[in-house]
Amino acid sequence: MRLSSRFPVATVAVYAFLAIVGIYILFPFLWMLLTSLKSETEALEIPVVWLPDRPTLKAYVIMWVRKNYGVYFLNSTVVSLSTAVLSSFLGALAGYGFSRFALRGRGFLMGFVLTTQMLPGVLVVGPYFKTLSAVGLYDTRTGLVIAFLTICLPFATWMLKGFIDGVPRELDDAARVDGCGWFGIFTRIVLPLVMPGIVATILFAFLLAWGDLLWVSTLTHSEAMVTVTLAIARTVQEFYVNWPELMAGALIGGIPSIVLYLLMQRWLVQGLTAGAIKQ
Amino acid sequence: MTVAAPWLRPGAWGSRLRDRTVGYLFVAPAVLLLAVVLAYPAFTSLRLSFSEQGSPVNLGLVQYRLLLRSSLFWQVVRQTGVFVAASVAAHVILGMLLAMILNRPLAGRTPLRIMVLLPWVVPDVVAGIVWKWILNPLYGVLNDVLLRADLIPAPLEWIASPRLALFSVILANIWRGFPFVMVILLAGLQAIPQELYEAAAIDGAGPLASFRSITLPGLRKVLVVALALDTIWEVRRFGLVQAMTGGGPGTMTEVLSTQVFRQYFQFFRFEYASAMAIAMTVLLLVISVPYVRMIVREE
Amino acid sequence: MSATDRLRRTVLCALVAGALLLSVLTPARSGEAVTLRFSNWHLVEDVWGRSLREAINIFESRNPGIRIIPEPISYGEKEPRYQAECAARRMPDVVKLHNFSLAMFFELGCAADLTPFVQREPAGFLKAWYEFPLKMLTHRERLMAMPDDFQSIVLIYNRELFRAAGLDPAKPPRTWAEFQEYARRLTRDTDGDGRLDQWGFSMPASKNPGLPLRIMPFVWSFGADFITEDGRRSAMNTPEFREAFRFIVELATVHRVVPPGVTTFGPQDVRIQMAQRRIAMKIGSGWSYPIVNALNPQLNAAEVLEAAPIPKGRKTITAAWLDAWIMSPHTRYPEEAWKFIKFLSSKEIEKKFFEDNRVISSRKDVNTLPLVRTDKFSRVIVAELEHARLEPFIKEWPEIFDAFATALQEAITGAKSTERALLDAHAKVEEILARRR
Repeated sequence: MRLSSRFPVATVAVYAFLAIVGIYILFPFLWMLLTSLKSETEALEIPVVWLPDRPTLKAYVIMWVRKNYGVYFLNSTVVSLSTAVLSSFLGALAGYGFSRFALRGRGFLMGFVLTTQMLPGVLVVGPYFKTLSAVGLYDTRTGLVIAFLTICLPFATWMLKGFIDGVPRELDDAARVDGCGWFGIFTRIVLPLVMPGIVATILFAFLLAWGDLLWVSTLTHSEAMVTVTLAIARTVQEFYVNWPELMAGALIGGIPSIVLYLLMQRWLVQGLTAGAIKQ
Repeated sequence: MTVAAPWLRPGAWGSRLRDRTVGYLFVAPAVLLLAVVLAYPAFTSLRLSFSEQGSPVNLGLVQYRLLLRSSLFWQVVRQTGVFVAASVAAHVILGMLLAMILNRPLAGRTPLRIMVLLPWVVPDVVAGIVWKWILNPLYGVLNDVLLRADLIPAPLEWIASPRLALFSVILANIWRGFPFVMVILLAGLQAIPQELYEAAAIDGAGPLASFRSITLPGLRKVLVVALALDTIWEVRRFGLVQAMTGGGPGTMTEVLSTQVFRQYFQFFRFEYASAMAIAMTVLLLVISVPYVRMIVREE
Repeated sequence: MSATDRLRRTVLCALVAGALLLSVLTPARSGEAVTLRFSNWHLVEDVWGRSLREAINIFESRNPGIRIIPEPISYGEKEPRYQAECAARRMPDVVKLHNFSLAMFFELGCAADLTPFVQREPAGFLKAWYEFPLKMLTHRERLMAMPDDFQSIVLIYNRELFRAAGLDPAKPPRTWAEFQEYARRLTRDTDGDGRLDQWGFSMPASKNPGLPLRIMPFVWSFGADFITEDGRRSAMNTPEFREAFRFIVELATVHRVVPPGVTTFGPQDVRIQMAQRRIAMKIGSGWSYPIVNALNPQLNAAEVLEAAPIPKGRKTITAAWLDAWIMSPHTRYPEEAWKFIKFLSSKEIEKKFFEDNRVISSRKDVNTLPLVRTDKFSRVIVAELEHARLEPFIKEWPEIFDAFATALQEAITGAKSTERALLDAHAKVEEILARRR
């Protein structure tokens, strides 16, 4: 790293910065973890108790066993993953279309896509509920996926168009010479080169779908369709908040996203080196 | 790197009409899905916003007039502006710094990369609840630390104080939202070839110079997109604010999204809420126009 | 591509394929004979939820052709959800709502008219209930819901903390002046470290649905009210109202008998404070002490907590909580839904709810049982029902109270002066009511 060899101070500064930011980022998680290991009374003590006297995994057991977390996990994962994959694929298609083709009304269409992102969820939820009911998709995972797609597609399209714009057209031409059609160029040249963007989009869409509360609570009603986030939110009741359980639920709820990230981060950090400039 | 032979440009193959059709085909699934699904809700809301309360037949500008004359509305717009501007600015600065750091070979990179992503995996509402608790005057950990270190004489009321409330919400929102921008910028940084930096170093350029002449231009498109998207999303931010302060004290941390929610679901003023939401959308449109222009005009 | 990469790719592809497949396949719903969807926020609670499920089991065993599907929902979700569902004609068949939003649901047409069902019951059917709740649930001469819990708001205090402060536990404060004095004496530093750790009183002054219940006793007993009798003008500028408002605000700003951050407390925070002996008095009802007990069993709430009537001002009056069962206007099984509602509000089940959850119902015949009359809390709560009043039953009530809560928070936190905050709230309520006319 050039920086370190010429400016050792810079390295120290970087690590110091990381340390401070690290505390800012990690502290709430540390607190969530410590709280999830306490008993309920202990969690509420003043003055604040930092380390639990007798750490217990009771909260985790309750969340998994008594509260049917397995089903919630399945629902969340299925819906979020589907949303993520579909929105990045469709978004990439649209981004490619906007990037490479001189469409009449292109600005208008792009503006339209972005505008749909600006409608507040609160307004859309009610009429959307009616629509879904009418076509029999109320209280289904499919209905949820479609709903989340409408939120994720705009930013997926815009993001991926931005990345695709960064792929030089000369590569397209080179592929043309080799006999590729438009779709071939899309899958063979463009997609691999915008992998970082695709991965970013998948992550966003996954997290957005996973953490949503408003849509999930309005568009489903049966126990079988409850997602993890909804289940966590419901532990905060009018009369009663069980802090250890809430924290345990929230922490477990974050694991799939981290797992997904770990699986995909390889492609996030892949550079432009692979096979691009080779003529 | 320019192409000499014009017959190699796509579009020269087959008629331009056919090309354009293919283009529409690529764009169609996304656009159609959005249009079909959102048309009815958007239309309904629009119509509601032009109706009088309780009489859907009379259309007029009643709700908009009420809205523009309401001092609370303008106060909320101002508060939303502060909230969004501060959050987005911090997201970009923090995100950029972290993205640049993580773009280098660094000891412990993978765990670092996980660490900076963590706040993002916490849903809005949960983040609000956790931060509210950390900032609680009696049970809160932050006050505990500050008191023990003798930095403050008495517990600070982060959420209840008129002066600190908006700041506290922004603090939590920065925490929750910077990974989004960071990941986009990191992906964008990945796309800048290392060779450019190496060449600049050989030419004797320092880190600041190469940042200005290589990083920023290379990131421009991505940065603009990140700014636009983050701004839109922060204007729509709801769960965090609602969970932390409920808009209080008084109305000092109300943002547009919490107001719309309140008017719609608590006061049952559907028409007024719709007008406010449409106003919010128009505001976002106005803010985004420069971004859209910047991106579309390039071509 | 390396082996790990290939593995990663396979895992991801498998996950994606699985997800897409599962998202399209939805669990098939069997066609039951008669299914009733039943939604109630108490279903998510440990104790009350269990009590409800037991009641459901009893009903199903007595009515084999009917199946009840419980739909838990959280307290904050219920109004937006039910509204959206009603607009799409998909509201659960039986739903519980409380006073705060009942008027709105009646006006939106989201409650079925129960009068025909009641008229078919034996004569005198409705005599078992207090008249007052029944009257409140009658909209345009039609009965739109069956009353369930009906509780009065009382003062709850910790007798041990009283004694430790030199106050006689058998003599709770009777007037507001006494109340203020008691609260001052109960605000102390109990462990000698120079910092206050016990306060005389606390209340949930954040914007939450429980706040109106705790404010109204103050306001009404000072002889004031939020709106005029005819519901057309704001009454928040009367001298009595100003006095009541100032009294509440000064508890925090001048006498400092409430813990810091009172404008961020919800009802749960206040119960936690009581459970931890941080406060000596609070305002609540029958539901308070089981929850406080669960929060800190060592407190021995049943022994240590006492209930007393709200202190007297110019009037002896308190607020009441009322919730009710609503039948969806679009239900496919009105007869069965009525059967279920009748069951839930029957003497047998209301008695069970009292035993399980310690809540008073609107049934006179249950409230006069020895079981209820000998319980030290219920005794007071039932007695106070005599002078209990409900919050105004108009559609704009949530918005009106929000203006008041805003003023309260502004005054307590010092964002505005007490006078200014109240004046602004008064103007706002006038504007809201002007819309009505």
